[in-house]
Amino acid sequence: MLHLLGVNLPDQKVVSVALTYFYGIGPLTARKICSRLSFHKECKLSELTEGQLNQLSGVLSEMTIENDLKRKVAANVQHLRQIGTYVGKRHAMGLPVHGQRTRGNSVTAKKINGTMLRKYSTVADTAFARQALGLFQAPLSRHQN
Amino acid sequence: MLPSLVACSRSIWKGPYFVHFPNLRESIASGTPIKTMVRACTIMPHMIGARFMVHNGKEYLPVRITEEMVGRKLGEFAHTRKAFTYRLTKNR
Repeated sequence: MLHLLGVNLPDQKVVSVALTYFYGIGPLTARKICSRLSFHKECKLSELTEGQLNQLSGVLSEMTIENDLKRKVAANVQHLRQIGTYVGKRHAMGLPVHGQRTRGNSVTAKKINGTMLRKYSTVADTAFARQALGLFQAPLSRHQN
Repeated sequence: MLPSLVACSRSIWKGPYFVHFPNLRESIASGTPIKTMVRACTIMPHMIGARFMVHNGKEYLPVRITEEMVGRKLGEFAHTRKAFTYRLTKNR
């Protein structure tokens, strides 16, 4: 296993396949990266030299992938929610956004939509907790002074 | 404004679809809402601060235009669907 930018990549796989282990890189983007760095099609990750790996990590660090991308998507959804659009509302309700029918189970939407906002709410809770903690700690700090 | 969204959905040479509201300037100044059924109208920068009553198919819902809404459509802010709530039947 190769550890690159916080993701464990499988050594024995072809580079273009291994790159899809990153959130935000699919087959197409992976192939583009490979051709940009002139890795041949069948090149395995273990066959790359140190310099090539450095090049690869250089390219990857320029892109918005993994947590940066997740944060970006969550922020976009949150923005839609805040300005009060229909799309934002559907996201918050955990229902399909693009006009699909909801007579069935809408399983994918239930799985994906709303989770960001749920996460967001937990973040808000921690902020509140920190604030509460600060309130409790304030007299202590005064005491120290 | 979402340039990519506009570019994806509609030819660039046409520009965004919007309707000219003749009394827009006065209504921004006086704060009286404009009653409209044009849900497909794109919100333009000169509409910021205006108040609209946008038709949702049944009634007119109040929408106040802010800076962030620019580039979206009026209809996106007047929801057409009502969430289902179960009511107990009275006659039993």
